[in-house]
Amino acid sequence: MPGRDSYRTVFPVQPRIRFHCVSKSFGSLSVIDDLSLDIAAGEFVSLLGPSGSGKTTILMILAGFEAPTSGEVLLDGRRIDHLPPYRRDMGVVFQDYALFPHMTVAENIAFPLKMRGIGRAEAAAKVARVLDMVQMGSMRDRRPSQLSGGQKQRVALARALVFEPSVVLMDEPLAALDKQLREQMQLDIRDLHRRLGLTVVFVTHDQSEALTMSDRIAVFNRGRVEQIGTPREIYDRPATRFVADFIGETNLVEGVVRDRDGGCAVVGLARGGSLSVAAANGLAAGQRVLVSIRPERIALGRERPAGPNTLRARIVDTVYQGDHLRVLLDDGAFGFVVRMDRRATEWPEGAEVVASVDPADCWVIPL
Amino acid sequence: MRRHLGALVLVGPLALFVALFFLWPLATVMTQAVADSTVGQALPATSGAAPDWDRQSPPPEELKAALVEDLRNLDNRQLFGDIVRRLNSVQPGFRTLMGRTMTAISRADGPVDLSSVDRRWDDPVYWRAIVGVLAPYTDRHLLAALDLERDGAGAIVPIPAGESANRTILLRTFWVAAVVTVACAVIGLPYAMLVASVGGWLRQILLAAILLPLWTSLLVRTAAWYILLQDRGLINDALRSVGLIDAPLPLLFNRAGVVIAMTHVLLPLMVLPIYSVLVAIPKNLMPAAASLGAPPLRAFLRILLPLSFRGLLSGSLLVFMTAIGYYITPALIGGPQDQMISSIIAFYATGSANWGMAAALGVLLLAATMVLYIVYGWLSTDRTARA
Amino acid sequence: MLRIARIIFGAAAVLFLLAPLAAILPMAFTSSVFLTYPIPDFSLRWFEELFTAGAWRRSIINSLIVGFGTTVLATVLGTLAAVGLRGRFVLSGSVRTLFLLPMVVPAVVLGVGMQILFARIGIASSYLGVIIAHTVLAVPFVLVSVTASLDGIDRSVERAALSRGATPPSVLLRETLPLAAPGVISGAVLAFATSLDEVVLTLFVAGPNQRTLARQMFSTIRENISPAIAAAAFLFIAGTILLALLVLLVRRRFKAPAPETAAEA
Repeated sequence: MPGRDSYRTVFPVQPRIRFHCVSKSFGSLSVIDDLSLDIAAGEFVSLLGPSGSGKTTILMILAGFEAPTSGEVLLDGRRIDHLPPYRRDMGVVFQDYALFPHMTVAENIAFPLKMRGIGRAEAAAKVARVLDMVQMGSMRDRRPSQLSGGQKQRVALARALVFEPSVVLMDEPLAALDKQLREQMQLDIRDLHRRLGLTVVFVTHDQSEALTMSDRIAVFNRGRVEQIGTPREIYDRPATRFVADFIGETNLVEGVVRDRDGGCAVVGLARGGSLSVAAANGLAAGQRVLVSIRPERIALGRERPAGPNTLRARIVDTVYQGDHLRVLLDDGAFGFVVRMDRRATEWPEGAEVVASVDPADCWVIPL
Repeated sequence: MRRHLGALVLVGPLALFVALFFLWPLATVMTQAVADSTVGQALPATSGAAPDWDRQSPPPEELKAALVEDLRNLDNRQLFGDIVRRLNSVQPGFRTLMGRTMTAISRADGPVDLSSVDRRWDDPVYWRAIVGVLAPYTDRHLLAALDLERDGAGAIVPIPAGESANRTILLRTFWVAAVVTVACAVIGLPYAMLVASVGGWLRQILLAAILLPLWTSLLVRTAAWYILLQDRGLINDALRSVGLIDAPLPLLFNRAGVVIAMTHVLLPLMVLPIYSVLVAIPKNLMPAAASLGAPPLRAFLRILLPLSFRGLLSGSLLVFMTAIGYYITPALIGGPQDQMISSIIAFYATGSANWGMAAALGVLLLAATMVLYIVYGWLSTDRTARA
Repeated sequence: MLRIARIIFGAAAVLFLLAPLAAILPMAFTSSVFLTYPIPDFSLRWFEELFTAGAWRRSIINSLIVGFGTTVLATVLGTLAAVGLRGRFVLSGSVRTLFLLPMVVPAVVLGVGMQILFARIGIASSYLGVIIAHTVLAVPFVLVSVTASLDGIDRSVERAALSRGATPPSVLLRETLPLAAPGVISGAVLAFATSLDEVVLTLFVAGPNQRTLARQMFSTIRENISPAIAAAAFLFIAGTILLALLVLLVRRRFKAPAPETAAEA
C-alpha cells in the first residue's frame, strides 16, 4: 500500500488502470478533454470536482457504460474500452445504491456470483463473509425496502466487493447519507480499502471526503484534470486558482514577482503592499502570480512581530464555530479570513490587530 | 364533528344515487337470480299449509284440501300449464296426475278426495315436489346457468347433453378472455418496455398511440375493425396484393376477428399498468446488473422482467376482467359461435324475457369480475415488495 | 440487431394501434355505398344522410339531450362527493372504492338490473332513465378527475380564508371550486364522452324514442352497415379531439396540475 506522501509520479510497475488521451464529447459538447491518468493497484483515487466537471463521465467510461470518443482505457495493460460492462470485472457502487428491490440482501449480494457461475455453497460462504465484513450479517434476509440508507449502502458495497473485482468504482456513494453516518462510512470504506488492498476509484464533489479517504486526488474542472496529487499536495500546494479555491478555504491575492532572493521572493501585490514568499523556485521577476494563504496559517496579534508579511487590519466579525474561531478582517483595501484556535482571545469587533504570515505558508500559483 | 357533517352533506347525494341506481339494480339481479314466486303466488293456500308438513310422513288432509282449493281458484290456464311443466321437470308423472286431478275438481262442487282421484297423491314424493316449487327462492336458475339441475331426489346432476350450452359459453368466455389477455401481454409487455426505454418526442408518440385508441369511442373502433377485417377490407386487400393469399381470409364474424378487435381495444389496459411500473424502476438497476456481470439478456430476465411482473399481473387482471364482460365487440365482430356470456345474458333479458336465467348468468359474471377486481385491488395497494 | 427488432416492433405496434382509426376516417367521404377501398369519389352524401335521415337525426338529438343531462347530473354529484371525500374520515377509502365500482361491474349485468328495476319504478324507456343509467357510469370519471385536481390545491389558501372568518360553504364556493375548476371541467367532458359512447345500458333501459347515436350506430353495424357509420365515426372522433383541445385549453389557462384520467377506463 503506497503511503500518502510517498507517492511516486512515475510508476516503476504497470498501472492497474491507465487512461491514455481519453476524450468524450456528446455532440459538440466536450465533457472529457484529452485526459491521461494512471492509477496503481491498491490505490485509492478520488475524482473530485463540481457537478458537470466530467468526473462521473470518467467513471462511466471506466465501468463501460459510456464509450470514449477517442483515446484508450487499459486495465493491467489490456485495452478494455471496447468491452461491454459485464465483461470488465469492476465492482460499481452507485449513488442511490441500485439494489434490486425484488431480491433479499443475500440474493442481491449473490447476484454477481451467480452471473459468474459460482456454485451455491461457495457463493453462500462468500456472501456470509462479505456480509460480516460490512457488519450486515443479521440482515441477510431483509429486502432493500426494509433497510435504512446506511444499511443499503453497506449492502451495495458488499455486492460490489463479493466477486473480488480488480477495481471498485464508487459514484458519490455517500451523498445521500446524513453527516454523521457519512463520516462513519468514510472511515469504514477506508478501512476496507486498506485491509483488502482494494483499488478504488471514488467520485465525489465533497472535498473533505476526498481529503479524508484518498491516496491521491484528481481535481476535475470542465472536463480537464487540474491537478493530481496526494491530499497534502492538493491542499498545501494547489497548482491552479481553481484547485486552491475548490479545496478548503483560502485567501487569494494577485501580484507580480518583484525581487528574487535565493529560495525566497517578494511579490508586489496588485492592491498595494508586498508579500515575502518562500519556495519560489522557478519564478521569474515580473511574472504575474496568485498567492494563496490558508486561513489557519495567519496569526493575529496586538503588536507587530519581527519579520516580514505583517499587516494592520480591523476585525469585522468573529464567528464561533465550535472547534475553531473564524475571524473576518479588513485592512481597508481587502477583506480576508483567519481561522484561529477556539481558545484564542476573542477580539472585539472593530479592534485593530496585526496579521502576520510565515513566507513558507504563502503558496504561489503562477498565472 | 361539524366537518364530518359537512362531508356527509356533500357525499350524501352521490351515495344515495349510487345506492338507488347502482346497488339496487345489482341487488335486483341477485334476487332475480334466485327468486321464484310464481307458483307460491298462484297457490296461496297450499303455501300456507306447506310449512306444517314434515315432508316424510303421508301428506296431511289440510294440505290436500288447500291444494284442491287453490286449483279450483286457479283460472289462468297458462299459469296452470307453467306450474305443471315445473312440477313435471322435478317429478315425471305430474302431467297426467294434474290433468286428472283438475278434471275431478272441475266436476265436483264440494271437497275432493285426492287419494281416490289418483293413488299417487298418497306418495310423499309428489308432495315434496309441490312444496319444492312453492319456495320463494330457488337455485334452479343458478344451477341451469352451469348446465346443472336437481333430480327428483334433490341431488344436483348435469342436464342431458345438448339441451343447454351455458357451460360451453362460459368456457368460451374464459377462453376468449384468456387468449385476448395473452395477446395483450405478448404485445403490451414489449411495447411498455419500449415506451419506457426511449425518451423525448418518441416516448410521447408511443404513448399517444396507446392513449388515442383509449379515448376513441369503442363503437368507432369496432366499426373500424369491421372495415379492416371484411372480405374486401384493407387487410385482405393488402395480403392479396402482395400475393400471400388467393382467396380472402375469413376474418369477420369469427373468433380471429373477435380476438384481434378485442386485443386492440384492451391493449391500453395492459400497457399502462406495465408502463407505470417500469418508469418507477430506478434507472440504474440495469447498469448495476451489467457491472455485476450480467449480459443484457440475463439482466433482462433476472431484473427487468421480475420487476415488471407486478404491472404485467395488474394489466392481465384488468384485461381479463374487462374481457369476460365484453358485449359490443363480440356482438358486432363475432359470429354465432363467438358469443360470450354477456351476449347470452342480453339474449335472455331482451330477447326471451327470461329474467331468471339472465340474472343467474349475470350473478356468475359479476362474481367472477368482483373476485378478479379484489385481487387486482390487493395487488395495486400491496407495495411492501417494492423499494 | 436488437435495435432493428425494436424499431420494427414499435412501428408494427403503432400501426396496429392506429390503423383502424386511420382506416375509418376517409371512409366518411366515400361516394360509394360500400365500406371498401379504394374510395371511388369524394362525397359528403353520408354526412347529408346523417343529418337528414330521420333515425340518424333523431339519434343525434337524443345523444345531445342525454349527454347534456348526464354531464350536469354527474358533474354535480361527482364534484360534491369529491369535495366531501377530501378530508380523510372513517370509511372514506371504502366509499371511494364503492363510487368507482361502476367502472368495473360488467355493463350487461348492470343493464339487466336496471331494466328490471326501472320498469318497476316507472322510469323505463324514458330520458330520465337513460340519463340516470349513463350518470352511474360517468360519475367515477368526474370523481377521479376532480379528486386529482383537489389533491393539487394548497390547503393553506382555504385555511387562510377560514381564519379570516369566512364560513366553510363560502370558502368552498369562492376558493376551493374555482381552484378545482380544471378538474371539474375535464370531469364534465369525460362524463359527456362516456354518455356519448354508451351502448350497453342504453340497450337495456332506452325505448325506441331514446335511441342515441351510439345505439343507432350499434344497430346499423349489426343490421345493415353503410358508410353512414364512418361519417358518424368521423363526428365522434372530431368531437373527441375538440373536447380534448377544450380540456387542454382550460388546463393551460388555470395552470393547475393535470389530473390523470381515463387510465382505468
